Amino acid sequence: MSVRIALWLQRTLSRLISPLWIPLCVLVMTYIFRWKIEGVKSSRAEYSRLRKASVPVLICANHLTKLDSALIGWALGGMTFYLRDFGAVAWNLPAREHFAYSWWARIAVYLLKCIPIDRGGSRKGIAQVLSKLTWLMNRGEAGLVFPEGGRSRTGRVDVQSAAYGVGRIVRALPGCRVLCVYIRGRSQDSWSDLPKRGESFFVAVRSFEPKSDKGGLRASVDIAEQVMMHLSEMESRYFDDHA
Amino acid sequence: MSEEQIFEQVVKILTPYVKDEKALASISGETNILEDLKVNSARLVDVVLAFEDEFDIEIADEDVDSVNTVGDCVSLIARTKG
Repeated sequence: MSVRIALWLQRTLSRLISPLWIPLCVLVMTYIFRWKIEGVKSSRAEYSRLRKASVPVLICANHLTKLDSALIGWALGGMTFYLRDFGAVAWNLPAREHFAYSWWARIAVYLLKCIPIDRGGSRKGIAQVLSKLTWLMNRGEAGLVFPEGGRSRTGRVDVQSAAYGVGRIVRALPGCRVLCVYIRGRSQDSWSDLPKRGESFFVAVRSFEPKSDKGGLRASVDIAEQVMMHLSEMESRYFDDHA
Repeated sequence: MSEEQIFEQVVKILTPYVKDEKALASISGETNILEDLKVNSARLVDVVLAFEDEFDIEIADEDVDSVNTVGDCVSLIARTKG
């Protein structure tokens, strides 16, 4: 089966059962984990605006817990929004090591619009994953990546650890907008597997269209660094305002 | 510039990133950068940018994907330099 057909099949299957898994995710986050997100109105308005503009949107966020993707999705849209605009449910690139241990975990990530990536794997393998995401985004699907490459071990955005793949994706998509998302649990000091139950989250978003006057690999690195600078600024503002 | 000269410069650039000193001692064109030299894959971009600076070339993203061994680096640099 060609890669493109396989991806579109994955999307179709995910779409078919989305009336089940999207509400389930929201219910679990709301009533079992009892999480709340502050500032959703403005973050959802911005994401909705970008989706209406029909431009490729790459969501780039800070990374502290294993469920950040779900939280970010929830911060950027409600159930109805995603059921109406399924392309707005962003494709994720989770590290294969986190779910390869069981068949049910592998099925779950398949159905939740994830493309596994081998962290530390060959450049060719990583390039293939980025290429899949780019292909999907060229067809109106949103993408979500964590530019730091993994959960921050310091609990703060590490501008030195920018994965240049972000820049590579942006350069392959003319007019691509990056939506920087900074999300943090009020009591989250550092990284963890899960946020604590009852956590209240702060979220801020900022969108821009990255440009670089450099060429080749340097342009990709430049763009990745621009994204990291935005996230770092957003984090500084958070700590300044909430010290 | 000969391929031998390029090889020497490539090894010099790679050395600070190498985590397996034994593999560095027996380095050749077939030596795999990630598996043998244990260079952190996240640092490969820094290595390639150093190649660009040293050899005054511009390397495309796609070309980086095909770099696995020291020999691949030498071939890529020689080809790009023309």
